[in-house]
Amino acid sequence: MIIWQFSEQAYHPAFAVPGAMRVTLPQHHCDPVEAGRLLNRYLDEYLLADELGLNIMINEHHAAATCMSTSCMTTLAILARQTSRARLLALGIPLANRSNPLRVAEEIAMVDALSGGRLEVGFVKGAAYELFMSNRQPTGFMDRFWEAHDLILEALGNQGENFSWEGDHFHYRTVSMWPRPIQQPHPPIWMTASSGTSARGYAKLGYTCATFLSGTVARAVFNSYRETYAETFGRQPDQDRLAYLAVVACADDRTTAFRRAEAMKSYFTTAARLDPQFRNPLGFNPVEANVRMLKADPSAMRPRMRNGKPVPVDGSIEEYMDAGLMFVGTPDDVYEQLARFNEETGGFGNLLMMGQAGELGHEDTVDNLTLVAREVAPRLAELPEVPLDIRYEAVG
Amino acid sequence: MATDVLEELDFGSVSSFDVLGTKIELFTAGKGPPLLFLHGIDGLEGSAPLLRELAREFTVHAPSHPGFGASERPASMNRVDDLGYFYLDFMDLLDLRRPVVVGTSFGGWVATEILTKAPERAERLVLISPLGLRTAQRRTQHVVDIFMLSRQELNRRLQREEPPLASLPEERLRRLMRNDEALSLYGWSPYMCNPKLPDRLHRIGCPTLVAWGEEDAIIGQAYRQAFAAALPAAEIAVFPGGGHRLHADRPEQLSHRIAAFAEA
Repeated sequence: MIIWQFSEQAYHPAFAVPGAMRVTLPQHHCDPVEAGRLLNRYLDEYLLADELGLNIMINEHHAAATCMSTSCMTTLAILARQTSRARLLALGIPLANRSNPLRVAEEIAMVDALSGGRLEVGFVKGAAYELFMSNRQPTGFMDRFWEAHDLILEALGNQGENFSWEGDHFHYRTVSMWPRPIQQPHPPIWMTASSGTSARGYAKLGYTCATFLSGTVARAVFNSYRETYAETFGRQPDQDRLAYLAVVACADDRTTAFRRAEAMKSYFTTAARLDPQFRNPLGFNPVEANVRMLKADPSAMRPRMRNGKPVPVDGSIEEYMDAGLMFVGTPDDVYEQLARFNEETGGFGNLLMMGQAGELGHEDTVDNLTLVAREVAPRLAELPEVPLDIRYEAVG
Repeated sequence: MATDVLEELDFGSVSSFDVLGTKIELFTAGKGPPLLFLHGIDGLEGSAPLLRELAREFTVHAPSHPGFGASERPASMNRVDDLGYFYLDFMDLLDLRRPVVVGTSFGGWVATEILTKAPERAERLVLISPLGLRTAQRRTQHVVDIFMLSRQELNRRLQREEPPLASLPEERLRRLMRNDEALSLYGWSPYMCNPKLPDRLHRIGCPTLVAWGEEDAIIGQAYRQAFAAALPAAEIAVFPGGGHRLHADRPEQLSHRIAAFAEA
């Protein structure tokens, strides 16, 4: 298992403002000087991750105090230049919210060239509420996603003449990548799944499949991926095709680790602060999915603890740990918790680690990353593969 | 898709009607001169109170727009402009030469899209709380953005009581979700309007009545004035106490007014 450092790069001073943290939060609550200081601090932490031998993951959100990275590629353009070893993962680019996928391809190519071919690219559906900022049409969302995906891959890998594109959603007179990406035909592609069904689709394409903070659901996601991958390619996927995202709070002693975890927990509590109408814009989800959702228990989508109960949003650190969303303790503790979770889910090759989250300060983050890189990462790198018979035990 | 779930439409019949390969849900009721009724943002079922009254005076033909209720939608149909052409085909197939055309809310917009294309196809036009014109100018909104409202707030502004969605039978819920989806498809952006409509409305030559609810909490005054300016010959009727859903708030008064207007 290898580790990717990730921070949402929150403007945490705004957490004290009552109400929603996304879409409707007025921008006057943002002190731009403070925002700049924080952004530089998070970049410093990414540079440290690079020095420590960790990889790097960047995301993006819009109109949110919880995440100031408004463009994966803008952030990665800086890191492409300032880091030297880390693989650089954008996870991800919300394709169907982009009005200009050719511009997306150009940014990918430029960052890949700048970084010497260290870029990895996640194409994601993105959160429903992002539609209010992109204002792209909610209906037909995934049709548009896949057309953008097809166009971008054809553009990145094109070795022939320039071409034109007349699709249902996108129209270009001429497509030409200057520069073109170093990695050919394109950088590795990632996608994200929160159910076995979507994982199957990505397995057919051979893309890396990540699941975020999904706890026990990760097992179903990974099993579905492995099954479909084996059916499609006639062999088991490498572990590096699978990834899991969680919060890690590590310290020399448990008291400090739990204190850090408490500072990071505001990631979960603030991420949930959003007015309900923005969670599911009309037309975004297919009709049948909406009918199922409305007929289901409202807590059906919450991650669950080992006793089957949903984790409360303001749950304790222990509850978040039990659900597999946080890994907290000394390096030994964190290693043991991750090794156990790895076995429970059938094994995954990438830990997308929120080594900074919520209000965790710089010194704590530096220590957290350093301990994980020096004392946990080498042991995770040696983690034995989970035997097949354990992987295929009934999901449950 | 089952249509027997519409108990509020028990005074007529619901059938499936084929428009050049697209099957739509069509409610028919009453006796009298032909009337084409085009429903609003609350779907065919939302207009039941007014339809009940109109059926006493007219032969009412009330389709669910493609994508709404139980009506199919061809994949390429995604603009209200398309609905305009669709309904001209529909009227040809049903041999509705010059009906009274009544459109409410979103259906008012649909009515204008039909009649700007073929002004001769209506005897009379009645627009109730019609959408379709530009809903905002830069930072100033003249029509509330319903996509930004919670369901609770939307219901309040529509003066409507809605049972908890989870308590609805699945078929009913499916209709509601299809109505929401279609509304988003046709009305998301530009928001609930066709920016070309103001320059086309002059083509509508038949006598036209525009009805507003005085308490409409969706459409503001400036928008109503823009509508009056675009249709200078139209009669305007304002119903005290009525909201955006005049068709549900003032069905008897509205029906009498429409019948009187149709006879004049």
